[in-house]
Amino acid sequence: MLARTSTSSPGPLARAFERFRLNHAAICGVAIIVPMFLAILTYPLWWGFKPNDIDLLAMNAGPSAKHWFGTDGVGRDIFARVMDGGRISLLVALTSTIISAIIGFLVGAMSALAGRWADAVTMRFVDLVMTLPPVIFLLVLASIAGTGIWPTVFVISLLSWPLLARMVRSRLLELRERDFVMAARGMGAGLPHLLFRHGLPNSIDILVVFATLQIANAILLEAGLSFLGLGIAPPAASWGNMLNAARSTAVLEQYPWQWLFPGGALVTAVLAINFIGDGLRDAFDPRAELN
Amino acid sequence: MKRVSRLTYAAALAAMMATSALPAFVVPAQAATLSGGFDVGPGGFQGNFNPLAATSGFTWLSVYYEPLVTYDEKLQKVVGLLASSYEVSDDQQTYTFKLADAKWHDGKPFTAKDASFTLELAKNAKTGSVLAARLTAISSVEATDDKTLVIKLSAPSASLLDTLTKVMMLPEHALTQIPADQLAKNSWWSAAPVGTGPFKFGRYVTDQYVELTANTDYRGGKPALEKVINRYFANPAAAIAALRAGEIQFTYVDSNDLNTFRDNKDFRIIEGNSFVVNYLGFNHDSSIWKDLRVRQAVMYAINRDAIIQSLYGGAAKPANCGYVADQVVPQDIEAYAYDPEKAKKLLEEAGWDKINGNKPITLLTYYTTPLAANVMAAVQAMLAQVGINVTPRAVDTPTYNSIVLNPTPDVAQFQMVYAGLQNGPDPSSINVGLNEKQIPPAGPNVVRARMPELTKALDTALGETDATKRDARYQDVCKVMNAELPWGTLWVANRYGVASAKLKDFVWTPAPGGGPYQAHPEKWSIAD
Amino acid sequence: MLKYSLRRLLIGAGMLLALSMLIFVMLRLTPGDPIDAYIDPNVPMSPSDLVELRATLGLDQPLPVQYLAWLQQALTGNLGYSIQRPDQAVLGLVVSRVGPTVLLMGTAIVIAIIAGIATGIVSAVRRNSLADISFSVLAVTGISSPPFLSGLVGLYLFSVYFNWMPSGGMLTPGREFSLLDLIHHLILPASLLALAQTALIMRYMRGSMLEVLNLDYVRTARAKGVSEFWVITKHALRNALLPVITLIGSTIGLAIGGAIFIESVFNWPGMGLLMVTAVENRDYPVIMGSTLVIGACVIVVNLMTDLAYAAVDPRIKVG
Repeated sequence: MLARTSTSSPGPLARAFERFRLNHAAICGVAIIVPMFLAILTYPLWWGFKPNDIDLLAMNAGPSAKHWFGTDGVGRDIFARVMDGGRISLLVALTSTIISAIIGFLVGAMSALAGRWADAVTMRFVDLVMTLPPVIFLLVLASIAGTGIWPTVFVISLLSWPLLARMVRSRLLELRERDFVMAARGMGAGLPHLLFRHGLPNSIDILVVFATLQIANAILLEAGLSFLGLGIAPPAASWGNMLNAARSTAVLEQYPWQWLFPGGALVTAVLAINFIGDGLRDAFDPRAELN
Repeated sequence: MKRVSRLTYAAALAAMMATSALPAFVVPAQAATLSGGFDVGPGGFQGNFNPLAATSGFTWLSVYYEPLVTYDEKLQKVVGLLASSYEVSDDQQTYTFKLADAKWHDGKPFTAKDASFTLELAKNAKTGSVLAARLTAISSVEATDDKTLVIKLSAPSASLLDTLTKVMMLPEHALTQIPADQLAKNSWWSAAPVGTGPFKFGRYVTDQYVELTANTDYRGGKPALEKVINRYFANPAAAIAALRAGEIQFTYVDSNDLNTFRDNKDFRIIEGNSFVVNYLGFNHDSSIWKDLRVRQAVMYAINRDAIIQSLYGGAAKPANCGYVADQVVPQDIEAYAYDPEKAKKLLEEAGWDKINGNKPITLLTYYTTPLAANVMAAVQAMLAQVGINVTPRAVDTPTYNSIVLNPTPDVAQFQMVYAGLQNGPDPSSINVGLNEKQIPPAGPNVVRARMPELTKALDTALGETDATKRDARYQDVCKVMNAELPWGTLWVANRYGVASAKLKDFVWTPAPGGGPYQAHPEKWSIAD
Repeated sequence: MLKYSLRRLLIGAGMLLALSMLIFVMLRLTPGDPIDAYIDPNVPMSPSDLVELRATLGLDQPLPVQYLAWLQQALTGNLGYSIQRPDQAVLGLVVSRVGPTVLLMGTAIVIAIIAGIATGIVSAVRRNSLADISFSVLAVTGISSPPFLSGLVGLYLFSVYFNWMPSGGMLTPGREFSLLDLIHHLILPASLLALAQTALIMRYMRGSMLEVLNLDYVRTARAKGVSEFWVITKHALRNALLPVITLIGSTIGLAIGGAIFIESVFNWPGMGLLMVTAVENRDYPVIMGSTLVIGACVIVVNLMTDLAYAAVDPRIKVG
């Protein structure tokens, strides 16, 4: 890839990539998240304990050579649960981000490109959703959807798209009046053509940045939902519901490994993803220069 | 821009002061004030002030209101409170109460007319009373003189006295002007309620606390404390933090949070029977539980002793029927000792592979405490060992009720429940959960138990007017439950409160719904 | 301008109507109703006992009838009574929560602005020093921690372990009101709520300060022999603050999100706590009422912001 871009004049994506590469924090983020991902995906191959195997004789044991992260209140291995919880938390975060990015982009782009009427209707709808207090929206939506992976994905997706729709719309509004879009329209280009040939390339940077930051947000939201008794229900593990064990003062105080490790994993992942997101934002920012 | 730096300096200073200097202003609570989290835990009902609408929260309500009769401290028998004595006629249909010489907090005398007024309110569902259906057996209430109340029943009812313990007496002179359907909405309840109890209402600070002050004219003597405060907590962990920080002197504590208080001489742990039997309820409308051998296999597959020892710290009694109290449990019932091999064999004989096999079975519960999450995890793992694949699903109480009380439930959502039901102090309490006549929408027999023998045993026990034979009747109920397994009965756990060691003569017990029981709040005191 | 405001207000009223319908429908889709929330499964009442109670509340009527009945009352300014606490009027419940929430969030935002700007400057000026690195680490941890966890840990550390702060509530029960008492209860939840915003403001402040410090006019000031302190406070800070100020507006959203968790851990009697308990108890009137009150506030604030922009910036035309 790099070899080819250096022979021709580098395109905007290549330049952005180059800027990203020089951002230490962002590279650091990649260096954290990639091994973490690998570990989470492959852990059943090299770790002897399963996340839901109980052992009432070894409950609440501290970290040791056998159980690296200790065990929980029914003797399940915390390391295995952190790994398995990571799978679920990241799955929830990734899918909900993709869904909300798709909805947000489509609504925003259609609003900007499909004419005044569509714009007025969709934007009023976005306003309506944004006027709804997020607390109520979250709680009521979560009570309707129930607990589990897919309901949680559904709730987080529905909560997150309006902001993106607004950003995409305001970016594409100026595009609407530009010559090449006018020309495309004049030649009878349909809405899909406008959306994907012109809308998408022009808002790809917003989408990428939104996506990374939203993944981090979604992980935190899932944890919050678990705290309110929604989200991923035990005994399935997620970082959020493992942290929830800290509600019990005994766990908070006497068995800190039961929440410190999932908490550490969550904070590290969110942190790394935020670094990458910031790096991407800087990389796409035309004002930022390579020095 | 000089301003900004000065501002930051000031802020830093303020922050420092806040962390270091402010604690100096924290004055310990006045010696004669007892603060507690009286409405924390399963027996509490924060924010409810209306005893007619109370499904729980009686621990607190009975500090300023009083019923005619109440349970004793051990919840073993019903004793008089505002009624100094009572008599039951031979046909069990006339109850005569002699009322005590009591005064309302506003100085007016408490009379039999107040008592009959209250009972009429409680019988009238329009007032929002949740007791109405339980009082339908009453045909008339009559105040024969100022201090005598006669209640006549249309048929004998073994549970009338139990229900009467939950009817808090209300002053006719204060409430008679309010139309019945406006009563619940009236601000009287949380602004200026009047009772007869040892403490009278001080004030309610929205969502923060309720403050009561001593009723110096109390007929049982002047209370030792000046004030009792009930603090509200949205989060049980915060109540424990407040207790340990010395801000409150009492709260309910979940058994898995007890460790921090054990061997600590500053605190006294109060242990009591929860009178709630936990069970795995088989939905008998689902075809998978039809075979008795499958239900037996569930019992043999779960190592209840191990769960009790490790998760409950030993503080629960295994239940082999709806009861654990010695007088109602016969000697010769099956103990269902842990035996996974036997469970596997029973499943094989029943043809479990064909009935359900490895398909996931939803195990629904409304318990959301960390302890319950651990119990569910253990149950899931133990059942998986014998080849029953359950998926726990914890939901909030309204969701649970809307699923299980639905007259035509979706069986796929609801094949099995992990639940609890009050089984005492009155053993007839479990009738509603098991009697065929109580299947929703008629009653809360949520497992849809249709077992003629069990229904017959329950009906016989309920209709038994001879008090000496009652225990034997409930032993029969236990025997049928043990054999037919409408539920996979698990255990009856103890519940706990923790009180500061400074509290003297403080009486509390984890009664279902919070009581009421004889707590003698007028005797509570606190040492410096 | 007047015509524009009127039109916007009219649209706003339409939005509120749509909002009330949306939330009404959403509530009825939620499993369980207020009566279901009433029943303790351990001490059950039979569903037939509650038929009358449901009827009294009108919950047995068809949905459109229930909605119209509610709307009719709401139009006269009567938002009804709480179902869980029937002696409390919804409007009173909601209004009494606004003060504590504004107090908590306002304090948190002030703390975040002051602490964020101060640490941001220190980090930028002492770049790569121990202080810079530790502030940065704290900041990123602050952004990445779930608020309920920092709430629980903060509660344990400061009120149980060190016993410096009260464990919750807004005032000491049974004591007369005193400002000092209020501040003492306010500091811990407000600081914990401020954590994420502080971190965000600090990072932006650091970045923008670094950028400004390299600009020509700052170099000129230095060359003129202005002391470093003055260079920073007088010359650099003014310009570095600009992007941070625009950021502050967007952190308010963070505060609102975190407030439910902090309010429920610390039992702070605010809107978040009210709404969480209302949803738990399916207290329809309270949920409808608080949604409408908040929605109306959002609409009015949006309108005022737009008008204010138009008044300040001649390039923006309203209408």
